[in-house]
Amino acid sequence: MDKNFQEEQFTGMIKFTPPLYKQRYQFVKDLVGKYKPKKVADLGCADCTLLWMLKFCNCIEVLAGLDTCASVMKEKMHTLSPLPGDYLQPAERSLTVTLHHGSVAHKDPCMLGFDLVTCIELIEHLEESELEKFPEVVFGFMAPTMVVISTPNSEFNPLLPGVTVFRHPDHKFEWDRAQFQSWALDTAKRYDYTVEFTGVGSPPTGMEDVGFCTQIGVFVKKYPQTSKPAQSEKPTEAAYETVFKAVYPSLKDEKYLQNAVVSEVMFTAQVIKQSLLDHLVSEQEKYNDNPTERKFQLQRSVNCFSEDLETQAVEKSTEPFVNGNVVYIPLKKIFSSPKVTRLCGTFEKLCKLITGKVTLSTDGSAVILNTEHENEEN
Amino acid sequence: MTGRARARARGRPPGQETAVPPVGAASVQQTFSSHPSGHRQPQQPCLPPSLSEEFGGRGRQRGPQNVPKPLGLQISAGFQELSLADRGGRRRDFHDLGVNTRQAIEHVRESKTGSSGIMIKLIANYFRLTSRPQWALYQYHIGYNPEMEARRLRSALLFQHEELIGKTHAFDGSILFLPKKLGNKVTEVFSKTRNGEDVKITITLTNELPPTSPTCLQFYNIIFRRLLKMMNLQQIGRNYYNPNDPVSIPNHRLLVWPGFTSSILQYEESIMLCADVSHKILRSETVLDFMYSLYYQVEEQRFRDACAKELIGLIILTKYNNRTYRVDDIDWDANPQCTFRRADGSEISYVDYYRRQYNQEITDLNQPVLISQSRRRRGSMMSGPVVLIPELCYLTGLTEKMRNDFNMMKDLVVHTRLPPERRQHEIGRLIDYIQKDDSVQKELRDWGLSFDSNLLSFTGRVVQAEKILQAGNVFDYNPQFADWSRETRVAPLISAKPLDNWLLIYTRRNYDIANTLLQNLFKVTPSMGIRMNKATMIEVDDRTEAYLRVLQQSITPDTNIVFCILSSSRKDKYDAIKKYLCTDCPIPSQCVVARTLSKPQTTLAIVTKIALQMNCKMGGELWSVEIPLKQVMVVGIDCYHDSLAGKQSIAGFVASLNQTMTRWFSRCVLQSRGQELVDGLKACLQTALRDWFKWNKYLPSRIIVYRDGVGDGQLNTLVNYEVPQFLDCLKTVGKDYNPRLTVIVVKKRVNTRFFAQSGGGLKNPPPGTVVDVEVTRPEWYDFFIVSQAVRNGCVAPTHYNVIYDTSKLKPDHVQRLTYKLCHMYYNWSGVIRVPAPCQYAHKLAFLVGQSIHREPNLLLSDRLYYL
Repeated sequence: MDKNFQEEQFTGMIKFTPPLYKQRYQFVKDLVGKYKPKKVADLGCADCTLLWMLKFCNCIEVLAGLDTCASVMKEKMHTLSPLPGDYLQPAERSLTVTLHHGSVAHKDPCMLGFDLVTCIELIEHLEESELEKFPEVVFGFMAPTMVVISTPNSEFNPLLPGVTVFRHPDHKFEWDRAQFQSWALDTAKRYDYTVEFTGVGSPPTGMEDVGFCTQIGVFVKKYPQTSKPAQSEKPTEAAYETVFKAVYPSLKDEKYLQNAVVSEVMFTAQVIKQSLLDHLVSEQEKYNDNPTERKFQLQRSVNCFSEDLETQAVEKSTEPFVNGNVVYIPLKKIFSSPKVTRLCGTFEKLCKLITGKVTLSTDGSAVILNTEHENEEN
Repeated sequence: MTGRARARARGRPPGQETAVPPVGAASVQQTFSSHPSGHRQPQQPCLPPSLSEEFGGRGRQRGPQNVPKPLGLQISAGFQELSLADRGGRRRDFHDLGVNTRQAIEHVRESKTGSSGIMIKLIANYFRLTSRPQWALYQYHIGYNPEMEARRLRSALLFQHEELIGKTHAFDGSILFLPKKLGNKVTEVFSKTRNGEDVKITITLTNELPPTSPTCLQFYNIIFRRLLKMMNLQQIGRNYYNPNDPVSIPNHRLLVWPGFTSSILQYEESIMLCADVSHKILRSETVLDFMYSLYYQVEEQRFRDACAKELIGLIILTKYNNRTYRVDDIDWDANPQCTFRRADGSEISYVDYYRRQYNQEITDLNQPVLISQSRRRRGSMMSGPVVLIPELCYLTGLTEKMRNDFNMMKDLVVHTRLPPERRQHEIGRLIDYIQKDDSVQKELRDWGLSFDSNLLSFTGRVVQAEKILQAGNVFDYNPQFADWSRETRVAPLISAKPLDNWLLIYTRRNYDIANTLLQNLFKVTPSMGIRMNKATMIEVDDRTEAYLRVLQQSITPDTNIVFCILSSSRKDKYDAIKKYLCTDCPIPSQCVVARTLSKPQTTLAIVTKIALQMNCKMGGELWSVEIPLKQVMVVGIDCYHDSLAGKQSIAGFVASLNQTMTRWFSRCVLQSRGQELVDGLKACLQTALRDWFKWNKYLPSRIIVYRDGVGDGQLNTLVNYEVPQFLDCLKTVGKDYNPRLTVIVVKKRVNTRFFAQSGGGLKNPPPGTVVDVEVTRPEWYDFFIVSQAVRNGCVAPTHYNVIYDTSKLKPDHVQRLTYKLCHMYYNWSGVIRVPAPCQYAHKLAFLVGQSIHREPNLLLSDRLYYL
C-alpha cells in the first residue's frame, strides 16, 4: 500500500480521481474484461489488492500472486479466501488462488501456461541484475499470451511537488517514455511479442507533452501456439515457496454440484407439493363448504384417482399426484424447472446425481414426499 | 400442550437467537424507522459497504497512532483491527472485563464457595492455556527518526533487525510485542532505506506483561483468532465455522455449519479457553429469492407487511464480502438504481457500484433495498445507515415462521442439539485441529503458549432436592426429571379460588369443545379443592368485535374469570381480548386455542394444567418449598424488546408478597427509546414495598433482586446506575428503613457446559448441581446452577452474578435460595432454568410487549394474570 500512498502524497497538487493506483488496477480489470483470460498472475502482488479485485472476474479460473516479501502478502491474504457466500451458492466456474513467495529473477514451473501476467509498478523496484533476468523469466520462460507492465513516467515528475529523485525511496530507476519504450520494444522483439503503449493519469491541460503519469506497455505474444514445444527444456525445480492456496467451491466439483442439485430438487418438489395440495383443497371447497366432510372427500377423491391411474400416471404423466399420504412428483416435472435444468444439463445427469440422496418411487421416476407432516402439530 | 408451548411459540422476538441484540437498560440501539424518499440526499450518507473499508482504507493506514481509539486497554489500533474491528463488530467489552464487584462485597472476599450438597465429578468445556514458566509478554514502543509514515515501511525497516528481534513478533506499526526481553530497556538500531537513507529506530520497553494482565488476555484472543484463520475456519459474527461439511436441510434450503464459539479469559484459577459448539444456520437463498417465494404465498396487499414481519430483525450475510448486518428496515421507495454519494464525492448508483466494485450484476432493478442501522463507529463518529441490496444478501438464522414449524425444528434439532458425549467430542475436535496443524503449533510454540489437550475436570456439588409442600402434604419428586406433575396430581392446592361466576366464550363450531372442557373441569377441580359452578356459556361469532362486545355486556363485578376458546392461533383476537381484560376491564382471563383440546387422549391432562393456571390467575396458590429466610422480599426483573416495531422496551417487575413466596406483586415499565429504565424501576420498587407493607404490616428486612435481561457488556451500567438507584429508592421509603440489599444478575445464555462423569460415559449433571469454582471469575461473586432437566441435548447452566450484597448471607444460602426459587414457577410443575420471579417478569413483559402495549391495570397487580 505504501507505494500507492507515497504517490498520493506527491500528487497532492495534481489530484487524480479515482486515485492513480485504482486507475492502474481498473486498467488491468478492463483488460481482463476484454480478453477474458483464464489464468492470471500478478507479479509483485504486494498486499494482494489487485488479486482481490480480479477474483470477482468470472472468467478467471487460476489466479496467482508472486512477491519477494512474504509478510506483506500474508497480511491480507485471507481476503483471498472463499467467503461463506461462495459456499452457499457455489459458482459455475472453478477458481484457485495461490500466493508464491519468490522473485521474478527466478524461474518456477508454477508460473507456466498463464494467459495474462501483470507487473504493475514492479520493474522500477528491481536491482539491475534482477532487471536483466526479468525479460528472460517473464517473456522467455513464463511466456504468457499477454503481459502488462506499468512503471512511472519520469517526464511527469516535475509536475509532482516534492519529488526530487524518485517517487518512492525504493525505486531503483524511473524511466522516461523513450527509455521505457526502447526497453519494451527491444524485449518484445527478442521474445516475439508485439507491444502497445498507453498509460493512466492524464497530464493537466496545457502540459500534455509530458505524457501519462504511469506508462503502460501491453505485450501480446505473436505466435500463441509456439509455447508448447519449448517447455520440454525448461527447468522443473520449484524456486518459489507457496504461502497460500485457496480452492473455491465450484459446481465443477461433483460434491458441490450434487449438494446443489439435491437441494434444488427437494426445494422444487416441496413447492410443487404445496401448490398441489392447496389446489386440491380449494377444489374441494368449491363443492363442499362443510369442513368436517371436506377432508374425507379430499381423501376419497384422491384415492380414487390414484388407485385407478397410478401405474399409468407414474409412467406417462409428468404431472404430480397424491396417493394416500404420499405425493408423487415426477422427476421429469422437476427437471423442467429452469434452475434444475441449468444445474444438471441432462435428465440422465439429474438421475445420477440424486441417486441415494432423495427418496424416489419404486421405479425411480418420481420423488416421493409425505403429506402427513402438514396435518400434524403446526 | 398448554400455555408453555404457546408462549414459546409466539414468544421469541425475531432474531434474538442469532443476533447479539443489546438488551437491558443501558444501550438501547436506535432503529431506523423513518422512510426517506427514493433518492438519497447527500446529507444522509447511506453507503453500501465500501471497498476502502475492506482494505483498511488509506486513511487508517496512514497513521495508526494519530487516531484516538476508544479503548481502555493499551493495545493500539492495529491490534484491534486484527481482533474485532476488521470484522465490523463494534468494539464492546463482551466479557464485562474490568467490572470488579467482588472486592466491594466484604464477606466473600476470602471465599465465595458454598459447601452443602454431595460432591460430583464434572467436566467443563474449558481448556487451560499454559505458558512457559516465567513467561511474560514484552511490549515495546518503536520510534523512527526521521519519522516514517507508512506502516509497511516501518515494518520493513524494523525487521531488518530480525537477528535482534527474533522471528516471533506482533507489530502494528508502533507497538511491538515480543515473547522475549531485549538486552536493554532502550535499544537503538539503524536501518537503511533502499535509497540509502539512514533511519534510527528506537525500541523502548514500555511494559512487561504478566500472563494474567488484561492486555495479555486480549493478545491471546488475537493470537487465537489467527490460529482459527490458519485452520481455514470461516468467521461469521463472533464465531468460527467450518464450511466444508455442512449439514443440508433441503426442504427449507437450510444449511447448518458446524463451528465453535470461543474466548480466552482469566477464570478463577487459571487462564482458560472456553470453547463450545456453535451451529450457524445459513440459507442458500438470497433475501430477494425469499421475497419472491413470499410474494406467491400471501395476498398482494399484505406482501409488504409480511416481508417486514419475516425479515426485520434477521441477520443477513453479504455475498461479496464477509459481513453480517441486521435488517432494521425495508425501503420500498428505493431500488438498486438509486444513487448515493461516495467518499470521494461522486454520485453512483448501487447497480454500478456493485458491478464495478465486486463484479456483482444486480438483475432485478425493482427490488426494494434493506436498511441496516450500523452499529460500528468510525473513529468517534457514528456512521449512517447502511443500504443493502436483497439480491446480494443471504439469509441466516431462522424466521419466526420457521421456528413455529414443528417439523422443521425437529429436523434441525437432530443436528444442533447434541447429547453430552457428542458435544464433548465435537468440542474436542477444536483442540484436535489445533494439535494437528503444524503451522498453528509452530505459532503457539514460538509464543511459548500451549493448550491443555483435555477438558477441565473438577468437582461440583449437587444440593439437596427440595420437598414440595402443598396444603399439608409433602412430596418428593424424582430429581432426575425435576418434575412433580405426577406426584401432586390429586392433592389439594394451598389456596384454591372458587369458580362461582365465570364466563365461557366460544364460537359455534367449538360448541362441543366447550362442553368437553366443562366436563373435564368438573372432573379435575374437586381434588384440587376448587369449587366450581357451571360457567355462563356464551356463543359468539368468530370475529374480534364479537368477542369484545360479549365481554362488555357479560362481565359483572362478580365475574371470577373469563374463558375464551379461540378457533385459531391468530394473534389479533388474542391481543384484543387480553388488552381489554388487562387494562379497561381488569378481570383474569384464560384463552385456549380449540385445537389444543381436540385430542381426546390428552384432554384430561391439558384441562388439569389449565385449571391450575386459572387458579393462579385468580390469585390462588399451588405449592411451595421451605424458605427458611424470614422477612425477605424477592424481586425479579426481565426485559422485553420489541425488535419488530422498534418502538419500546418493556421491563417486567415482580416482587414476592409473602413469606412462602406464593403470591407476587407485579408491575411493568414501558420505556421508549433512549429512556433510562431505572426511573421506572424505582417506582416499581416503591409500590412493591407499599404492597408488601399492606400484606405483612411491616417492611422486609432483606430485598433480593434477580435481574435478568442483561446483555453482554452491560454489567458496568448495571453496577454504576441501576444499583445506586435501588439504594436511592430505599432511602426514600423511610429514615430508619435500611434493609439489606442483594442484586443478582441472571444469565441464561452462556457458553459454559458441564458434563457429569458416570461410568465410562458422560451425562448431563443432575438438577441442583452448583459450580462456584474453577470456571467462575475471580473478580466476581458468581456461581452456576443447573436447575432444570432436559430430555435431549445438553443442559445449559444458568449463571448468577451477585453484583451487590449487603445481606451478609453465606454463598451457600444464596445458592440454595436461588435453587429453591427455581421450583416456584406455577406454570410448570417442575424446576425451571431461572428463579420463578425472573420467569414471571419475563411472562409479564412478554404479554405487555406482544399484546397489551400499555401498563396493565394495577388492580390485577397481586395476581399472576399474565401466566
